[in-house]
Amino acid sequence: MFDDPLLLARLQFALTAATHYMFVALTLGLAPYILVTQAVAAVRRDRARMTAVRFWGGPYLVNYGMGVLSGLVMELQLGLNWSGLQEVFGYSFAAPLALETMTAFFVESTFLGLWIFGWDRMGRWAHLACFAVVTATAYLSAWWVLVSNGFLRHPVGFEMVDGTAHLTDPVALMTNPAATLAFGHVVTGSLLVGALVVAAVSAHHLMRRGDSHRIFRRGMRYAAITVTVLALPVAAFGGTQFEIFGESPPTSGLTYTAGEIQAIEAAHEGGAASAIGTAGGLTMFIAWSLMSLIGPAMLLGWLVSRFVEVSRRWTRVLVPLLFTPLLPYAASVGGWVFRETNRQPWVVVHHLTTADAVTPLSPGRAVLSFSLFTAAFAILAAVTAWLLVRYARRGPEGGPLAERPGADPEEPAAPVHSF
Amino acid sequence: MDVLSCALLALLFTGYLVLAGSDVGLGMLMPAVARTPDQRRRVVAAIAPYFLASEVWLVATVGVLAGLFPVTEHHVVAELWPVLVALLAGWLVRDAGLWLRARIDRPGWRTACDGAIVAGCWAVAVAWGLTVSGLLTGGLVAGLFTAACAAAVVCLFALRGAAFGAERLVGADDGDSADAAARATRPLARVGLVLGVLAVATAFLPAGPVGGAPVVAAALAVVLLGALVLTSGLRGPMLSRHTSAAAIAVPGALVALTADLPTAPVPDTTAVFVWVWLAPAVPVMVLGQVWLYRMTRRPAAEPTFFA
Repeated sequence: MFDDPLLLARLQFALTAATHYMFVALTLGLAPYILVTQAVAAVRRDRARMTAVRFWGGPYLVNYGMGVLSGLVMELQLGLNWSGLQEVFGYSFAAPLALETMTAFFVESTFLGLWIFGWDRMGRWAHLACFAVVTATAYLSAWWVLVSNGFLRHPVGFEMVDGTAHLTDPVALMTNPAATLAFGHVVTGSLLVGALVVAAVSAHHLMRRGDSHRIFRRGMRYAAITVTVLALPVAAFGGTQFEIFGESPPTSGLTYTAGEIQAIEAAHEGGAASAIGTAGGLTMFIAWSLMSLIGPAMLLGWLVSRFVEVSRRWTRVLVPLLFTPLLPYAASVGGWVFRETNRQPWVVVHHLTTADAVTPLSPGRAVLSFSLFTAAFAILAAVTAWLLVRYARRGPEGGPLAERPGADPEEPAAPVHSF
Repeated sequence: MDVLSCALLALLFTGYLVLAGSDVGLGMLMPAVARTPDQRRRVVAAIAPYFLASEVWLVATVGVLAGLFPVTEHHVVAELWPVLVALLAGWLVRDAGLWLRARIDRPGWRTACDGAIVAGCWAVAVAWGLTVSGLLTGGLVAGLFTAACAAAVVCLFALRGAAFGAERLVGADDGDSADAAARATRPLARVGLVLGVLAVATAFLPAGPVGGAPVVAAALAVVLLGALVLTSGLRGPMLSRHTSAAAIAVPGALVALTADLPTAPVPDTTAVFVWVWLAPAVPVMVLGQVWLYRMTRRPAAEPTFFA
């Protein structure tokens, strides 16, 4: 089984994409929260909120770095392992990805560098503006990637010229419902990931009564409101996509006739991919059902703690929150598995099969590439998860962006005589 | 439109070599220029802001190659697959070392991460050497030119790193690393000169470069050798900041102007679509790059996120 280059290339991409998306979801989920906190801190010159920005910024950066690493591998893997896709759909599928690298990632990484190194070197408004650019480009990046991904599901706006797809309608490409709805789904889903991570970290510190800067009470309130408000929209954005899943794309027939399409699909009926896809969909639905209960429960707890003084000591009830981030992560990965397997046997629906898109690799090369990058990803994901938990438990004083004692350029300490 | 798109690709690739040459090269030289833990910390602190802003040039190169020049990309991937996988692996190891180094405050952890950075930088430089020679010869061929050209590119990376270190490692009390880096520029330039001459000489043997435009190639070779001659002299270390940049830009320009790569005209709609979106982003891209490079001219004295 493991000498089939196609299977290895598919498994490798699935693992890369799933790992990458877990980092991406937390980046997208935390960035707006950090941005708003920093904006309020800048307006009110509030040191406590700035401490919160430094605290949440630590795990954000570690997570971002690993997101970049997995993203690099993913981008190059498209070229290395899926050259058939690039060859036929380079001008339509890869053009949004090219724009992603330049208009989004290029700017995001540079301005994140400015944010990291600018704490003591620029004014507070300039520093805030840098993170605003980082947040905006993170979302722009997700948008371009989903325009590309939506094209695979629902290819629109091109004509075939000598076996190559030439873009004819960029507007259709960008307003593709398979992209816009997916963007809404990914944004709301990522905000849920971010909110429940904030909730879990806050619960940990509130249980230990360590909240001298009110970071964690504010975090809890943010998480309660976000989870309550977004539970329905995330399902709505996901559910409306089912309408496109059933229909043929408008470009159907440009490459294969209806009869050929039926024959290809009939030959791939059932199989492991569809079973895995069903499992992914089921995981997503169960995780979402549980998540939809968390928001109201948190709001209730918050109200009770506001009005019943004594209830603030019952921190044991927060224990379940420590594990809630698992739910949105499971839902995200399950959702992607569902979306991507649902498209099979096609990589571009009704135009290119997955089997035709893979680079003709020798089994040796396929095994090398698969084992190398899978092992690297397993290590990276494990180290990152461990570091994130470690920073989360340490609190505001121990993070990588925390102000160091003695770093203040105030009066130098008087020399101490020691004889 | 095609000329503009080609120029964009060439600019991104050459820009990557010039900018990333600094941080990759300094990473390669870390064992030579930094001996104490604090010196190593300062080396990583000098690399850290740079690598964030320089590797995006390569990501953009790959993006433009895939979106506007899929035919070229297909050829490059098919011919250079093993080298590109090695490049990606080296890149991954190096960046993991950089991101993770300051995460755990233990000497053993830092040593392991420093090892990853150095090994990754060397892997990246060697992979680029083979990529450049492979692009010039039209595929991975075993030959004298491949060896000379790859070695010359690796040497140019190291030279660029040494020049960068001489400039950025200057500190209040330990000028040692900066001096070591400055001293290294002269021997590196001399080695580069020898390898450059060898590459020019072996270019006429079988298994040499297959591209056209011999006049352009000769002119670029003159630029490269001239820059290296200047760096080899007594005033070398002082000029090296500019000469090393000119020298490492030459491989990029050679690939862009002389390599025999298959291309297809970019379809108009795709080109317009990309340029309409790219144009408004360019000022922001330039602003961020210039700002970051200017702001971090001196590595932070206090420990930062990376080191």
